[in-house]
Amino acid sequence: MTLAAETPTTAFASNLRARRTKNNIATVVMTGCFLVALVPLIWLLWTVISRGWRVMVHADWFSQDQRLTQDWRTPGGGALHAIIGTLEQVLVCSLISVPVGVLAAVYLVEYGTGKLRSAVTFMVDILTGVPSIVAALFIYLIFIIEFGAGFAGIYVSLALVLLMIPVIVRTTEEMLKLVPNELREASYALGVPKWKTIAKIVLPTAFSGILTGIVLGVARVAGETAPALILVQYSASRNSNLLHGNQASLPLFIYSQFPNYANVGSKENAFTHVKEVTNNYAAGRMWAAALTLILLIALLNLVARLISRRSKVSN
Amino acid sequence: MGRIRLISLATLVVAGSVALAACSSSGGSKSSDSSTPAGTTSSSSSSSSSAPATTVSCPSGGTLNADGSSAQANAMTTFITAYQKACAGVTVNYTSTNSGQGVSDFTAGKIGFGGSDSALNPAKGEPAAATKACGSTALDIPMVTGPIAIAYNLAGVSNLTLNPTVLTQIFLGKITKWNDPAIAKINSGVTLPSTAISVFFRSDPSGTSKNFETYLQANDPTDFTYTPDKPWPGKTGSGENGSAKIASSLKSTPGGIGYVEWSYAGNNSLSVAKIDNGAGAVELTPATVGAFVSSAAVVGTGDDLSLKLDYAAKTPGAYPIDLVTYEIVCSKYKDAATGALVKSFLTFTSSAAQQATLPSQGYAPLPASVLTKVQAVVAKIS
Repeated sequence: MTLAAETPTTAFASNLRARRTKNNIATVVMTGCFLVALVPLIWLLWTVISRGWRVMVHADWFSQDQRLTQDWRTPGGGALHAIIGTLEQVLVCSLISVPVGVLAAVYLVEYGTGKLRSAVTFMVDILTGVPSIVAALFIYLIFIIEFGAGFAGIYVSLALVLLMIPVIVRTTEEMLKLVPNELREASYALGVPKWKTIAKIVLPTAFSGILTGIVLGVARVAGETAPALILVQYSASRNSNLLHGNQASLPLFIYSQFPNYANVGSKENAFTHVKEVTNNYAAGRMWAAALTLILLIALLNLVARLISRRSKVSN
Repeated sequence: MGRIRLISLATLVVAGSVALAACSSSGGSKSSDSSTPAGTTSSSSSSSSSAPATTVSCPSGGTLNADGSSAQANAMTTFITAYQKACAGVTVNYTSTNSGQGVSDFTAGKIGFGGSDSALNPAKGEPAAATKACGSTALDIPMVTGPIAIAYNLAGVSNLTLNPTVLTQIFLGKITKWNDPAIAKINSGVTLPSTAISVFFRSDPSGTSKNFETYLQANDPTDFTYTPDKPWPGKTGSGENGSAKIASSLKSTPGGIGYVEWSYAGNNSLSVAKIDNGAGAVELTPATVGAFVSSAAVVGTGDDLSLKLDYAAKTPGAYPIDLVTYEIVCSKYKDAATGALVKSFLTFTSSAAQQATLPSQGYAPLPASVLTKVQAVVAKIS
């Protein structure tokens, strides 16, 4: 634009006009694309929020389970059983994945050389591409078929570990690479051994970045449905025992309400034709559970953002 | 740096304590649940709340897991809700899968009882395998009778009559258009469109399939030449997994027809065909189902109560395509606590008061003669 202030020749002026036109077209196209990309997002959020918030804001939603309200014609109940399950399964998954993932990344960045390093990198690459259903089938084959174990929430956690480790290795690796070499060299110059340099200098410097990666990993697995469908059976009651029995989780809760989603309410009983008003409450519960899951993951992402804002090293 | 660490640690601690709080609250669920039964239930009716009060002997606590037949799942949901209302400390879970899985999970010792629409099959060694898993005789206990509805999706046609021969030919792909002369012949006065027929069958090992096949073979052995079994033998149409998927597929497919337990057809407002077994067209109602099922005879030996339905009967006013869905149990459980749970729950479901709630959900109660035997056998479970 500043060019226009200089004395333009006629050729230059026409050139400028053409460039302005191109610029305008590009702006319109890009803004249009942005708006188009926004449509599904807003549409989705609007659908979930408008259908789910009424059920979710009820006080019982976070304090009750569904043991007395399983029937699609019965209103009320809450999602506590599913929230407990999701938190437990994700927590145990994180307890396993985080040490393994972070230490693997430390190995790749600080120690790894030669064939083993490229082998580990290759494996992590492959693991990143494993679909959740495949991870679930793998755990099903090993534990439930081979070892003959019953369904339990812990197997969901194990399948989620397979999905979470590559995310953590990847992000931690990137964060460790961002730690300036000068810091390491300064530490070595003072005679600090390598392990202590890593533990006291490198990891603390990259700490907030690593934590962001962990939270993103948690957000990635919290909504995974395939492992829950295959490795555990739904329970409408609270079960905080991860090792035994049916256990709900938010994705499974949504799925349990889905078969009744399209059921039709009526003014008379469909079978006896006795006057009896029925409404479909399963649909509201399904959307409310979906909204709860979205909010939970959004909350985790928000936490990750807040932590990364305080990051010391940044790209 | 210390501060950041502190904040991050605090985040983890908070997350952890939320989970812990969740755990501890579930431990105390017994009291909180009983104090707020259906705390948010409004005045609008529900089939479960209409259940008359039944005196139940509740075990002190515990969880009973079961899975299997999707045909009985809707009845189970209501039974379980009422039972858990009566017994606050006890949890019963019934996962709706299919009869095949109910039997295989029971045989693998994964569940307390299995739901199946057909009794254990001696030809496949199922009773022996189940008995081995139990360490005592495994029993088939009939609990719910469910009509199999022939549900269809045909705009403008709400009064369709079918007979066994036409049904077999439709489901095996010999009749492909709705205005086929064979259908038109038994539906005089009904305007049939030329829409193509889309057949839906169960793709999983289903007791509903087996009972429907048994019905077809009993009435039309010339067209239906397969041996009835849980997998559907036909090649025509599309397979769907579970009763709920059949219902939702029918709902979204004009020209579709499928067999599904009645509760699914009714809950989805699907049209249901009348069946003419030779004694006139019979509409599917609780009364016509009751008329048919009352003829059920016990063929099981000892405490096993497997039933036989006479599918070829030409009884006027009896709806002939029905199934009896069983709970497969051990006569004596290795784990006494599981035995007590199974006994308590099945005593509850076989009570006259609970059986009386079935018609309003698209099922029929067991005939009184069978119900008495069921109650006697359930009382012996330990």
